[in-house]
Amino acid sequence: MSNSLLTVNNLTIESRSGEPLLKGINMEIGRGEMAALIGESGSGKSLTARAILGILPDEMKVNGQILYKGRDLLKLSENEHRLLLGKEIGIIFQDYRGSFTPYIKIGQQMIETIRTHQRISKKAAKEAALLVLRETGLESERVYNSYPFQLSGGQVQRAAISMTLALRPNMLICDEVTTALDLMNGEKVLKYIDKARRETDCAVMMITHDLAQAYKWSDRMHVMYQGAIVEDGPTEQIRFHHQHPYTRKLCSSLLSLPKERKASSAEGVYSI
Amino acid sequence: MKQFLLIIGSRMLQLIIMVLVLSFITFLLMKITPGDPIRTMLNVEDMAATKADEERLMKEYKFDRPILEQYGEWVIGVLQLDLGESLISKRPVLDMILEKLPATLSLSIGGLVVLFIIAVPMGVLGAVYEGRWPDYLSRWTALTGASIPSFWLGIMLIYVFSVQLNLLPVMGKATLAHFILPSVTLGVAMAPLYIRLLRERLIATLQSSYIEAAKARGLGKKRILFSHALRGSLIPLVTMFGLSIGGLLGGVTVIEILFSWPGMGELIVNAVMSRDYPVIQGYILIIGFLVVVSNLVVDIMYVIINPQLYNGKESM
Amino acid sequence: MKTAVIRTSLSLGNVNLVLGLLLAVFITSVTLIGGSLVPHDPFQVDMGNRLQNSSSIHWLGTDQLGRDILARLVYGAKLTIGLGTVAIVVAILIGVPVGLISGYIGGKVDAILMRIVDGILSFPDFILAIAIAGILGPNLTNLLIAIVLVRWIVYARVVRGLVLTEKQKEYVLVSQTANSSSLKTIRMHILPQVIPDIIVMAAIDVGKVILLVSSFSYIGLGAQPPIPEWGAMLNDGRSYFQVKPLLMVYPGIAIMLTVLCFNLLGDGLKSHYDIRRGRGRI
Repeated sequence: MSNSLLTVNNLTIESRSGEPLLKGINMEIGRGEMAALIGESGSGKSLTARAILGILPDEMKVNGQILYKGRDLLKLSENEHRLLLGKEIGIIFQDYRGSFTPYIKIGQQMIETIRTHQRISKKAAKEAALLVLRETGLESERVYNSYPFQLSGGQVQRAAISMTLALRPNMLICDEVTTALDLMNGEKVLKYIDKARRETDCAVMMITHDLAQAYKWSDRMHVMYQGAIVEDGPTEQIRFHHQHPYTRKLCSSLLSLPKERKASSAEGVYSI
Repeated sequence: MKQFLLIIGSRMLQLIIMVLVLSFITFLLMKITPGDPIRTMLNVEDMAATKADEERLMKEYKFDRPILEQYGEWVIGVLQLDLGESLISKRPVLDMILEKLPATLSLSIGGLVVLFIIAVPMGVLGAVYEGRWPDYLSRWTALTGASIPSFWLGIMLIYVFSVQLNLLPVMGKATLAHFILPSVTLGVAMAPLYIRLLRERLIATLQSSYIEAAKARGLGKKRILFSHALRGSLIPLVTMFGLSIGGLLGGVTVIEILFSWPGMGELIVNAVMSRDYPVIQGYILIIGFLVVVSNLVVDIMYVIINPQLYNGKESM
Repeated sequence: MKTAVIRTSLSLGNVNLVLGLLLAVFITSVTLIGGSLVPHDPFQVDMGNRLQNSSSIHWLGTDQLGRDILARLVYGAKLTIGLGTVAIVVAILIGVPVGLISGYIGGKVDAILMRIVDGILSFPDFILAIAIAGILGPNLTNLLIAIVLVRWIVYARVVRGLVLTEKQKEYVLVSQTANSSSLKTIRMHILPQVIPDIIVMAAIDVGKVILLVSSFSYIGLGAQPPIPEWGAMLNDGRSYFQVKPLLMVYPGIAIMLTVLCFNLLGDGLKSHYDIRRGRGRI
């Protein structure tokens, strides 16, 4: 595909004890595409995302290719890779409380992020931050001057999204962004992400265990099971003509899926 | 504001309980010990002590009264800022302590500075390179450091820097140079605990989701470490620090004796040697006061570092 | 990832445990064998042989009164380690039962008791020991009494905390509802959980007591001459420091190695227990 933004070739990850965590992932995401990565917890969705971002724990062994705009991310130096994060590839986490450092005001963290990637004055960065906050429909000044714990969950999540979008990344990874939110707020967030995608032609990799959500929003689906992609294709095709027994099971249990909980919980982050 | 009043209130309560319990224990102990303060005084006054003298002094110092009455009077005295007077020098105990206090405090602060200069880099090294050689270095330094007697370290430092190299002065506190050896000794002696604590906390913090988020925003390693992670790890450090102010005030005693530092350590050791009970009592009281006040300061710093406590919304 | 982390700590924990044991073997053999190979009376003054250097007769030389330094160090080792161990064992024997009972019963008595305990604990133990030893009179016995008086509280506090945690756990609740006696619940379920922490604490504490005793002896409030306690030896040797620095080096190294031994054992045991209980981190 000529408009491919991200191509993952035979990506494998092993834990230090040699246990295979990802078993040869192949995936392609086009510019401006909304791709869903679906599977149960422990299937390797988040691991894939972290491999793309290069924020896996040091002791894990990663092999394969992750081509982003033709450059292999796994071959980049740490610093080169780091400069892509935020600017080119953004991520929004499930655990919205963990999106911001709890001891620093949101505005400060936004400025810090913007100025890491753009050589602009503090004042200009502040204006940019306030603008994106306003776009998400938040009271920009108040959120800007707040600590994360002073806001509601939905507000923090939206602030996190606006910070991520402030740098206009070409790719956005959404890791279970709605799981920790109620239905209403979840819909709002997804709608906003979809709007931003259309406006900026930014590709979205939506990690979810919610099949209904994937059906509703994605163009393409990748079904993961036990560290491998068992099936992928346009959403319509997967929905009505899936092949793999696991996909079948997944689709038939649409309404009875248990709530997924993130394995690497943020427990203790806020405890003192 | 309510928060602060609550903190101050509970600390005052702590002070009262601590001082009452401790002073009562010391009072009891004094009563059941063989060494009689009257005899101490008579020895000092160096006169042919007669039975009559003894009785006169017993009356004068009210040692013949029931212990609870004596204790009550001492407490009332304390409330009026009267800690009694030394049995030896006959000077007011409060004056004696207050004039030694600045020297002890300044040495303690010197020790703290050295402590931080050592503990922060070592702790950070240990956490950042967890499981690799800098971590091993940091942990073994901490273990070894915790095994060296502080006074012996001081002796060795004196030997190397003053006797052999003739670089630094040893005794007294005339110049800034006099500060260096005692402060280093104190700081090194205190550091191991903080190295380990900081390392453990920092490792936990570095695995938290907000650090992952900061990485995902492309922030630089140094920036993440110093302005995001370290701050989160400072909170338990501050608490720990508050808890060990007492340890600092205790540890400084030996260092003072070693370096002939004219602080409270010298005062208390002399008082113990000569059984000067009012001075011992007053010393305990003042140390208790210092401990509580520093805990109070730590409580307040705690709220400032961790804004989550402002509106009492201490999540999880 | 979790397995990897545990492995790291496992190896370092084991290294420390092994080092600690090696050091313990070394110290024990020096104490037992060293003394009998070159038998000297640690108290025997010999003014004709003052401040001798190492020789085949006096392996580490002699001090300012002509006494054999090795003999004094060995005597000091038995004394120091023995006293430290006794002090901590007594503190444990008092503190652990109090902590178990206080934590198990709970309620108002527990709350008041702990309030008082916290008050005392926030006071520097070094200064408390000075005060108590000072009032009772400065000597080794009174110093040990002071240490026990302070340390048992620490054990009571820690054990109480552990009991409160254990009490929440299911098996204890089950055992309680199954009508077994309180004593039995404590003995069968709570005590076994508490023991590892006590052992780790005790190992590190013996080291602390050795440091404390030597500090006290050094400032003249602990062991009095001619007892060859290491801190007292350092105090003795002060005036001869310039003439014979080694006089000040040997006892210091003896203290350091002994305390290091206990610290390594404590650290190693802690990692060991943590891993066995699946607590992972070091």
